[in-house]
Formats: sequence, C-alpha cells, structure tokens
Amino acid sequence: MTALTLTHVSKSFGAVDVLKDISLSVEEGEFVVFVGPSGCGKSTLLRVIAGLEDATAGEVRIGGDLVNRTPPSKRGIAMVFQSYALYPHLNVRKNMTLALRQEGQPKEVIEERVANASRMLNLDPYLDRYPSELSGGQRQRVAIGRAIVRQPKLFLFDEPLSNLDAALRMNTRIEIANLHRQLSASMIYVTHDQTEAMTLADKIVVLRDGRVEQIGTPMELYNNPANQFVAGFLGSPSMNFFPAGLVNEGDARTMGIRPEDLFLSDTGPLGARVVHVEHLGGDTNVIADVQSHQITARLFGQHGIETGQALRLGFKPDKIYHFDAGGLPA
Amino acid sequence: MNKARTNPANTIAMHGALIAYTLIALFPVFVILVNSFKTRKAIFREPLALPDADSFSLSGYQTVLKQGDFFLYFQNSMIVTLASLFFILLFGAMAAYALSEYRFRGGKFLGLYLALGIMIPIRIGTVAILEMMVATGLVNTHWALILVYTAQGLPLAVFILTEFMRQVSDDLKNAGRIDGLSEYTIFFRLVLPLVRPAMATVAVFNMIPIWNDLWFPLILAPAEATKTLTLGSQVFIGQFVTDWNAVLSALSFAILPVLVLYVIFSRQLIRGITSGAVK
Amino acid sequence: MSRPRIRWHIFVFLAPAVAIYTAVMIVPIVNTLRLALYTRVDQDRVFAGLDNFRTLFFDPLWAGHFWNALGNNFWFFLIHMLVQNPIGIALAAILSHPRLRFAALYRSAIFVPTILSFVIVGFAWKLILSPIWGIAPSMLDAVGLKSLFAPWLGREEYALTTLALISVWQFVGIPMMLIYAALLSIPDEILEAGEVDGITGMAAFWKIKLPLILPSIGIISILTFVGNFNAFDLIYASQGALAGPDFATDILGTFMYRTFFGFQLQLGDPHMGSAIASAMFAIILVGVCLYLYAIQSRMRRYQL
Repeated sequence: MTALTLTHVSKSFGAVDVLKDISLSVEEGEFVVFVGPSGCGKSTLLRVIAGLEDATAGEVRIGGDLVNRTPPSKRGIAMVFQSYALYPHLNVRKNMTLALRQEGQPKEVIEERVANASRMLNLDPYLDRYPSELSGGQRQRVAIGRAIVRQPKLFLFDEPLSNLDAALRMNTRIEIANLHRQLSASMIYVTHDQTEAMTLADKIVVLRDGRVEQIGTPMELYNNPANQFVAGFLGSPSMNFFPAGLVNEGDARTMGIRPEDLFLSDTGPLGARVVHVEHLGGDTNVIADVQSHQITARLFGQHGIETGQALRLGFKPDKIYHFDAGGLPA
Repeated sequence: MNKARTNPANTIAMHGALIAYTLIALFPVFVILVNSFKTRKAIFREPLALPDADSFSLSGYQTVLKQGDFFLYFQNSMIVTLASLFFILLFGAMAAYALSEYRFRGGKFLGLYLALGIMIPIRIGTVAILEMMVATGLVNTHWALILVYTAQGLPLAVFILTEFMRQVSDDLKNAGRIDGLSEYTIFFRLVLPLVRPAMATVAVFNMIPIWNDLWFPLILAPAEATKTLTLGSQVFIGQFVTDWNAVLSALSFAILPVLVLYVIFSRQLIRGITSGAVK
Repeated sequence: MSRPRIRWHIFVFLAPAVAIYTAVMIVPIVNTLRLALYTRVDQDRVFAGLDNFRTLFFDPLWAGHFWNALGNNFWFFLIHMLVQNPIGIALAAILSHPRLRFAALYRSAIFVPTILSFVIVGFAWKLILSPIWGIAPSMLDAVGLKSLFAPWLGREEYALTTLALISVWQFVGIPMMLIYAALLSIPDEILEAGEVDGITGMAAFWKIKLPLILPSIGIISILTFVGNFNAFDLIYASQGALAGPDFATDILGTFMYRTFFGFQLQLGDPHMGSAIASAMFAIILVGVCLYLYAIQSRMRRYQL
C-alpha cells in the first residue's frame, strides 16, 4: 500500500506558481527526501501534504484516502518543524501529550506512548523541563518525540537539522535513520543539504522551481542523473562541467565529470594550472584552471601539489557524462 | 484561501464584531463633528443627519473664534508639546546611551533609579511641584509645563532607548573610535541615526498624553496667555454649557488637530506599539 | 599603572536627564510625602507626625470622603479589568487572525478614542447621554429599549459606572494594541504545530495563545491599575471638581485636587492634599510591588 500519493498537485500564491504539476508516491515504510535549492518549493510541498497549505489543483491521498479537504490533525500525519515549534509554556511531557489529550485518548495509552517515545529518544531525565531549559539537540528530540507519540501514518520533517551545529547534525542524522528502522514508518524529509539526502533516503525527490527534476534511489540519481541540474546538485564537491570541445575538437556538448573520477596522469587529456589546493588529510582537493574553466579534482590520499603548478588530469571514458544545450543527457 | 482551515461563517462573524466595535468607537466623534456644522434647531431635531443646505451653519465656530483665543491655545499646546518632546528625546537618548554603552560604578543603580518613574505617576508630587514653581517664579510660564512633562517622559524614554541602543553593533562604535571620533560624535553621528525609529516611537508615545493633559495646565499654567488647547476648551465649554453650537464647535476644534496628526502618524504609532518596544 | 582617567563624557551624557528627573519628579514626590507630615498653625509649618493621616482615615469630616473616594476608585479599576481588558483581548485575538482583511483599518479606527483628550471624551459623552439632546434615548427607542434610558451621569447609582465605561471606551485601544503585538510575536510554527496536533480555533486560543500572552496581560493590568489610581481628568471634565452627583464619582484624584486647592467654601490645604497624595503613592506602590514580586516572579518567562 502507498502511504502517500500526489497526483498533478499545483500550488500558486497569487500569480506565482510555487508547485507545478507534481505527481509522486511514497510507499509504506519508505524514507523519502525532498531536496532542492532554497526556493524550489520543497517546504511548500511538505506543507501541502500536511494540510497547512491547500493545493490549488491536484489530489493528495494519504493511506489511500483523499485528504484535500481534511484538516491537518485528521490526516494521520505528524510534523517536525524547522524551529521545533515546541509549546514554550508546556514542559516536555505536556508538549508530547497535548495532541493526544486533545484527541481524548485514555490516560494509560498516553502514558505508555510517552514512556516508549521517551525511552527511544533518551528523554527520561527531561520530561519535567520546559523547552527554554533544553539545549538545541534536546529540543530537537522532544520535537521528534511529539511526533512519535501520535503514531502517525506519515512523518513529515521540515529541515529538522538546519538549526543544529555540524557535530550534532551528524549524530542526529544517525538517530533519525535508526528511528526509521525501529518504527518502520513512512517518512518524508525536506532538506537543502544533498549529504543528508544521500545518507538518509530510500528515495530522493529532486525539486527545482516547483517541478520534480528526478525521482530515484540515491545511487540511481548519482549514477544516472536525468539532467545537468541533478548531476550538479548531488555529490560533493559537485560535478565539473566544461565544454566537451576541450577534449574533442568540435564537440558542442557540455561534458560532466565528478571530481573523484579525475586522476593525475602524465598523458591525461586535460592540461591544468593549479589555482588552489585543499589538503584534507584523507583527500586532496585540487582546484585548477583548464584554459579558462575551473575544475575540481578530488585525489585520494595526500599529494605535494602546489599552487601555480601545471599538471595533467585523466579520467576513465565510462565516467563521463554529456549534456546538450538544454541540460539533457546527450 | 485555505479551505481546510477557515470557514466563511467565522470570517463573517469576525468582521461583524469588528465593524460593530468600530462603530462604537467612532460614533461619538462622528456625532460631534457632524453636529458642529448644523444650526441649533437641526442639532436637536435630527442629531444623526448630515448637515444639508438648510441646516448648515457655522455659527458655533464664529462664537468660538470670537470668544476664545483658540489659536493662542493651539500655539501654546504646540510649544509645550514640541519643546517637551525635544528635551525628552535629547536627554533621554543621551542618558540611554551612557547606560547602554559604558560600564561604570552605580550604572545599574542609576538605571533602576530612572526606571522608577515609569510606574510612579508624577502627579503624586503635584503639591511640591506647585510650591517649587511658585518659588522659582515659573508658574504660568511654558517652562513649568515643559519641565514637568520632560521629567515625566524621561523614564520610559530612557528605558526604551536603552533597549534599542544595546542592539547597535559594538563593532560600529569601535570602528568609530579607531577612526578617532569622540564619544560625542559617535553618539550624535553613528548611534542616533540608527535608533531613529525608536526615537519616533518614544515621541509618539509622549505626544498624546502631553497634548491631552488637563491636570498640570490647570494647576501650573492656568493663565490666559499660557492656556493649552485642552485646558482652553475645557474652560470654554464650561462657560458656554448652554450654547450647544459653541460647545460642539469647540469640541471639534479640539478633536481636529489631534485627528489630523493621528491620520499622519498612525502608522508610526501602531508600528511603535506593536514593535514590542514596551515589554 | 596610571590612574584610570575620569570619563567625563559619561557624566555629560547622564547629567541633564538625571538632573531634571530628580529635581522635577523625585524631589517633589519626596517633598510631598514629607509635607504630609506637617500642618499649618497660624501661617507656620509645624511638624505633625501622622496626624494628617489619622484625620484622613478616622476624622468623621474627612474619613467619609476618603473611603468613599477609595472605594469608588476600586470600583473604577474593577470595571476596567472586567470590561476593558477582556474586550481588548478579544479584539486583538480577532485582529491577529492571519487572513483577516482590513485589519489595519479596524485597528486604526478602534484606536481613535485613545488619542482624544479626556475633556473631549467627557463632554462628548455627556452630550450624547444627555436627556436634553436625546441621542441616546432616541437610539434606544429605535431598538425598542427606550424604557431602559436614564440620565446615567446624573444618577448616583449609575454615574460612576457610566464614567468607568466611558473611560473603557476611550482606552480599550491600549490593551488591544499590546495584546495584538504579543499575539503577533508568537511564531507561526508553534500555531501550526498546534494545528497539526488538532488544536485549532478556540482551543488554540485557550491552550496556546492565552498562556503565551499572560505576561502582557500582567503588564496591562498593572498599567490599568496605575492609570486608574492616578485618574482625574475625565471626572473633572465631565462632573467637575465636586465629582457629583453627591460625590458619587469622587475618586482619589478629584478628592486630592479639591483638598489641595479648596473648592467653594472649603479652603485649600496643601498638607492634607499631600496626605492624600501619599496614600495614592502607597496604594500604587503596593500594587506595583505585588505585580513585580507575586505575578512577575511566578510567571514563567517563556522563551519564544
């Protein structure tokens, strides 16, 4: 059974079309990530699914039921907000139970669910604290706990890690992945960070300007990007693009190659002058000019390369991509 | 519109309540203004009708202009209000800058001392203020009122402006110091322009109570030459209780300048109140 | 190490404000409190201890007026708390509705009475409620309630309540604005989280918004308290210094004014006037302290 189906969903604010004809589905138990640059409509799409915005056109089905006219609380969803949106006047326990009490759930059920969620998220010591007395990471866990206790058909996460510092972000990312395994619930996760998308997702939906660019597993998108945008958006450092004419005289297409697929080779086809070197220890990123085009090569291990140095770069022919003027594979 | 979240009956009820209360709020003002332009007969016969060719009359205004020196009163109110605002803003901003910018012994105490006046009304000290004004010969001068209103307005001004000045970036001021600006130049050239919105808020907050005050003009400056518009209209209306045209016209005279100022400044005023300046 | 140089500019920045505030506000207030301890005997000022207060509270000539004014003042305050603030909160709650049209227009219109002076307000309502002009009776007539009309300002049993309601009419804009600001400062995401949790409409108001604006309601209450115990203008403008009918609308402000300046046959007495001012000071101080310690310290400052 599908947890969520969107059919030809559009959304406009006045004359501005924010979402354009979006159709996709989320299977039961699947972890789907919406990713795209800021302003691509991914958060709006999530809000349409949640019922915080109405779709201008199209159908939203959750667990098979048409929910276009259903208020958020009746859609069987729970949402974790970017700013956590904890109720400042309620302590952790009450934050988690407010919705259940509003639904009129029996006391034992509420207590059991809070106990479970609290154990899962290590929140036991904080149940009587107020949000203002918690650290960012703890607040984040409370926000997730508040979603868990509702036992929703579908979890919605709106950039939940963007307010955390880098170290905590990594830990929380792993926690969310664990949580998904334990609950085996359907989850939709919005982010602009391609690393989060790659590491968490069963399925990634790449959005740009309110349109779906591509849907697929992380490796599908990485290996077979549908167009130049997707190719450039996923992967870090991002894919190099330069005129194929640099390698093949007269070729009008754009050539794409990932930094990790470039290597030093005295006979390589690309003659480059080093502009800058980033020594990361495990890797070395070399930023170099090939004629007037800047490219990045990610070399494994440590290399004594210096700025200004001339070098030649090679690649395997099966690792290159070609795009036409419209950005489509060619 | 979001259909899953709002229903039209609710919207209608909300507008209904707001329109009803708006009518209650504006009705008295409307009645006064409209009737001030009517003949005495029309005032009583059709109090809610707009003036027409038959009932239109300016006789009330003629009486008012003949009998009371409303332009002088208006001028007095202007002088007192503007001068008080000037001193409140200048001295208030200076003190706020000192309190927000420098750490010095007694600074905290001084802040609390100045904040005391936010909650304690200056009217409590009226008896002694009058004695002092009599002793210094300031009674029945504009200065008596200006001094009192300045003292009354300073605590809140200092409080609000201190909050705002804390938000001015330290780097900016330090950059000024490294460029060799004096503390005074930093204050006047760098900080004051940045807190201009807060200054406007303070000005609007103080303007209304000063302009409308009856107590201190009545006690400290009741002389004809220093009467403010509020006191002037109060006295005038008291004398002409039975001349309805004159009373209504005098009221309109007092309402109109405030209303005009409000129409001009209401954005500023409302933004000031809602900006959370008073917490 | 050299001595730290004296930072004269701090002094210069602070001096004018501190000087004016001290000279025109603090010193007179302290002096007024002090004057309350003196009395006049044959043109001389004589220290009298707490005699003035004894007179004020217990002397049959004074006590009746004082307790009457104090009681009236509390009634005046109570009406404001029960009518002005709930109406203000309700209006603010409606106005803060995110998709309400013309909100700015309503807001500005409802605030108009607040900018008018007491003199205007007092007289305007006096005219409207006057049986001679007849606007109020004929409007009641239009809805079939003419029998309810009474010359409210002229009747002892109604006058004070009527004046309090006029004052409410004038000042409802202030709680409305402050609560409106407080409601706007609640982050959208919290309300949306409530929506996802099924807390909408009235439930959202009672369970989420109201607890979050409690600090603002506290501030409004104390502002109302201070303003009411300091009131004078409206009653003086509409009922005169005698606060008629038969002192039914007398509050501490008018009582102090009459005592200080004298009225008709009664001679002015600065010392008794100071004693009343001191009583007002004490009441306001108690109110403010109660607010600061009891309410403010208990009310959790929610971090939004």
